[in-house]
Amino acid sequence: MTESEATAGGGSPPAVAAVKLAKSFGGVRALNGASFAAAPGEVHALVGENGAGKSTLIKILGGRLRPDAGSMRLKGEAVELHGPGEAHRRGAWTVFQELTLLPWMTVAENLLLGDEPRGALGLIVRRRMSRDADAALARLGIRHIDPDALVEDIPLAARQIVEIVRVVIREPAILLLDEPTSSLGEHEVAWLFDLIRELRAQQTCIVFTSHRWNEIASIADRITIFRNGAEVGTYRAIEEREAITLMTGQRLDTLFPPVPPLAAEVPMLEAQGLAAPGISAIGFTLRRGEILGVGGLTGHGHRELFLTLFGALRAERGTILVGGEALRLRGPRDAIRAGLGIALVPEDRKTEGLLLPMTIRDNLTLAILERISRLGVIEAGAEAERTRRLADALQIKTPSLMQPAGSLSGGNQQKVLIGRWLLAESRILLLYDVTRGVDIATKHEIYELMVRLIGEGRAILFYSSDAEELAHLCHRVLVMREGRIAAELAAPNLSAEAIVAAAVRDSLAA
Amino acid sequence: MARFSRVHLGRDRRRTLYALIAAILLFVVGEFVHPGFAGLDSVEAILTIASFVGLVAAGQTFVVLIGGIDLSVPWVLNGAAILLVILSLGEDGRALYALLLTLGMGAGIGLLNGVGVAFLEVPAVVITLAMNGIMEGLTLGLSGGLTCAACASYAPPVVQRAVHEPIFGVPAELFLWLAVIVIVSFVLGRTRFGRHTYAIGNNARASYLAGVGVRFTTVLLYALSGLFSALAGILLVGFGGQASLGMGTPYLFQSIAAVVIGGVYILGGRGSYLGAAAGAASLTALVSVLLAMNMPDYGRSIIYGVVILVLLLLYGREEGEG
Amino acid sequence: MPPELAARRERRPFTAHLVGQNIGLLLVFALLAAAVLLYCVFFWIRQQSLPGNFELTSTVNNTMPLAMAAIGQTIVVLTRGLDLSVGGIIDLTNALAAVQIQDNAGSMLAWTAVVLLVGAALGLVNGLLVGVGRLQPIVVTLATLSIFQGLAIRVLPQPGGAIPPSYTAALVDPNNPWALLYLGLCVLLWLAFRRSALGVAIFAIGNDEGAARANGIKVVQGKVIAYTLSGVFAAAGGLFLAATATAGDATSGNGFTLSSIVAVVLGGVNLFGGRGSAVGAIAGAFVTTMIVNILFFSEIDPLYQSFYEGLFLIIAVVVGAVLGRLLRRRR
Repeated sequence: MTESEATAGGGSPPAVAAVKLAKSFGGVRALNGASFAAAPGEVHALVGENGAGKSTLIKILGGRLRPDAGSMRLKGEAVELHGPGEAHRRGAWTVFQELTLLPWMTVAENLLLGDEPRGALGLIVRRRMSRDADAALARLGIRHIDPDALVEDIPLAARQIVEIVRVVIREPAILLLDEPTSSLGEHEVAWLFDLIRELRAQQTCIVFTSHRWNEIASIADRITIFRNGAEVGTYRAIEEREAITLMTGQRLDTLFPPVPPLAAEVPMLEAQGLAAPGISAIGFTLRRGEILGVGGLTGHGHRELFLTLFGALRAERGTILVGGEALRLRGPRDAIRAGLGIALVPEDRKTEGLLLPMTIRDNLTLAILERISRLGVIEAGAEAERTRRLADALQIKTPSLMQPAGSLSGGNQQKVLIGRWLLAESRILLLYDVTRGVDIATKHEIYELMVRLIGEGRAILFYSSDAEELAHLCHRVLVMREGRIAAELAAPNLSAEAIVAAAVRDSLAA
Repeated sequence: MARFSRVHLGRDRRRTLYALIAAILLFVVGEFVHPGFAGLDSVEAILTIASFVGLVAAGQTFVVLIGGIDLSVPWVLNGAAILLVILSLGEDGRALYALLLTLGMGAGIGLLNGVGVAFLEVPAVVITLAMNGIMEGLTLGLSGGLTCAACASYAPPVVQRAVHEPIFGVPAELFLWLAVIVIVSFVLGRTRFGRHTYAIGNNARASYLAGVGVRFTTVLLYALSGLFSALAGILLVGFGGQASLGMGTPYLFQSIAAVVIGGVYILGGRGSYLGAAAGAASLTALVSVLLAMNMPDYGRSIIYGVVILVLLLLYGREEGEG
Repeated sequence: MPPELAARRERRPFTAHLVGQNIGLLLVFALLAAAVLLYCVFFWIRQQSLPGNFELTSTVNNTMPLAMAAIGQTIVVLTRGLDLSVGGIIDLTNALAAVQIQDNAGSMLAWTAVVLLVGAALGLVNGLLVGVGRLQPIVVTLATLSIFQGLAIRVLPQPGGAIPPSYTAALVDPNNPWALLYLGLCVLLWLAFRRSALGVAIFAIGNDEGAARANGIKVVQGKVIAYTLSGVFAAAGGLFLAATATAGDATSGNGFTLSSIVAVVLGGVNLFGGRGSAVGAIAGAFVTTMIVNILFFSEIDPLYQSFYEGLFLIIAVVVGAVLGRLLRRRR
């Protein structure tokens, strides 16, 4: 069962092979000698924790990134890709995790980009584009997406489908799919898997990544497991528990620290009938000492919920109560004053979190400058003192707090982001995907920090794209679908499977 | 990792140093081309001219630090210069009133720029370019193309003295500039407002989520830029005695060149005013050397452009390596 | 055959989409119609007659340089860039034309080609600095503006030179609005551009540079070409300006940086790239000229011209932004 192979089985050369690929970003090693191979007519799954290097690997194979070291082969030929165009010419097409559709162009323009129907003088015929796109969509069984609609006007799930269709109609020999199901519901996933099976029958090589074990098990011919930027092994079949142990390097029960039960029912943050662009009818109560999880497919309103609670999105209806008192939020400053802190980790970790070129000190005190300055002049002594104490308490690993935050490892950056709100004495922490893209050891540290923080009487609202994490760390989990709370899961019914099941349940039924 | 950090932290200071060294070298070169160029009188004169660029560059530094730009410099400066002489009619008695109103006009125009950028979300280039047009039209129209009776007035003697009067043998203008350098550096380096400025320049969204009043700070920064343009206009009339049309035009390029030479990162978040001030000094020294070499007027305009481009390319490479 | 994914959704007709996606274009033509109407009213009040061929011809001829500059600016703005050197290129090409063009067909043709090539070269410099050098368009073109202006004065230190009358007649016939033919040609070129691989690339770059790159579009090449084209059109603007003025002035192009942006914004081209049409920008250029005409008839001092240009630019940007926000909310 644990048959491990370095090369693809059979005599034919693998359609795609990576040999000891390495890639670093700044000081962070994303890939560290990763290898795998997949054959034509094979569905090959790459699995691993967030940050194990799967996306980086796919980007390299798709020609979007160039490796620092190592080599790759496409259709048996050693290649060096200088751009996605070259990968395309060699038959390798990629569906990227962060969608690469052009927002102000129509679905048809996106589908046929670079391959538009030409008429007289070699000019593009736009009416025919619309017709061709419609036919292409219909051929794949899609009739609910209007080819003349602008991409920015269609829902995220539809965009993901357009992204897939765009690649599939180029008839790739090698199809790379990075988290293609992250925002798809049950029906759409079934559609995609039928499509994958059909392509497999036509000898297409399909490499894909997914978070959902059930999906992997149901479609993959072989599975390569990654940990910390390198492969652990390739398997034909493997039990989930064993796979997770291989992915994390430790057993599940030691990865997650025990979470103490709620001591008392003291509500700290409440939402009643909250509505904002992207969310509606949100109601919940977050209690002292609680980690309340938020889960669901990407693009179903989690981010909007967090931003609304923090005052960064204007609520259209409903009330937010802190400690039983209704809050009027005109901006994040009001939320901070009320004792809220937010740690948002976006996909690329650069847009909404830390100010990477500024010092760790500057990042830590940005939200409390009012409290440590007199007449607008910052008191350097008080600032140094406070930040030093906090850095010690959080064990932020750095030679000096005057180093730029960007010089820290991913995990230590998250600590700084959370530490900012500890300095601000926030009682309620909104943690949005804070474990994304950090290694296992740091994840473990962040989990322990979270448990310590609720032990100190704080409350945490915790969104994660990893259902396993939610199931193990949270007292309760709210599953969101289409901007609403679709399910609330608690103790005996709380499991990763239950979260995923509630998230994907027929988002197309409406 | 640690090495990378040290390089990074030192960069601002290193560029300030480069700019200063460039200025000194230029004086040495000038001395060869034109003996007496590096004499005390000549250096004072050149620095005095540099100080006007330096004052405008202070405002430009503020907005460039948040990734903005102020293209309204030329006619805010020119408008301020003309407004001062019209209001004061060259009389000391009316000087205070004229000064306050003129500075207020500059800050007000800057404030409008800031509101456009921060609240209406108009790109800085567009709103400040439009504001420059508005100020040009207003200045020309209201002064009848500088033909009005009051337009020919001189700057009040007190303003002229503030520029020319020697203190310990050095023109007062240079002390004024020194004070501005100290104050602006202090504000940027030591105050909450300064920290917020750098934070916004690095990442406005992240700063907003950390509770920084991004819009308020932005408006204030543009207002300061307008204020400094107006101040430069006032002191320039004090320097030359009378206002003229087009006197502000060179200061747009010069202020941006000074900021770039001084190592202020054009996309915001990094740099210091000391660097920009050093940039103003070396730029003016360069132009003076070229003048000493009988470089015609149009040559200056070409040199500004080339200097900006070369430094952008050099620094851009350095950013990439960092 | 994969299963049907969902119930078929009703499709809006193609034309409905076309209207929805070209609101900016419709608005600028409405604005142009309003401006023309207002102009006619003022004209009637002053002259007790309607404007005729003479007024049409002079309006078209006066708009030609700006219309050209605006087309170039549009292409750059579509890539999410900005070309502040437009004024400098017009200065330089205008000066070159005035100094060099002689009164014979060979000289006219040759120098027209040379001047356009010079414009392309100047634009290419911008494009290489922005695309290959990866520098900020605003600072780059501000710096090259300074350089081009300096060069222009080097070429023509004092206003002067002369444009042969036959050249003026060929470009901007003072008696008939033949110049409209050039505009028609430009519109045709634009429609072809919009349907070419290059056009797709430039729109894609403005939509999302990263996504465009991931789709195999050559981003650097696209940007270089965009700035080069802007240079060519600015040079054409310089020629039209020289032909209209029948002489050269190395500073007369300066104002075109501002007014080309005004025309582009009025024309509904989105300053954040990826959306807009040169046809709109041409209409925007006409609106700008009509405003000047209206100001003239309402006896406002021409010294105020840049005041109104600046004001209209701000109003156009703000109104555009507010309308955009309203449309978004309605969806």
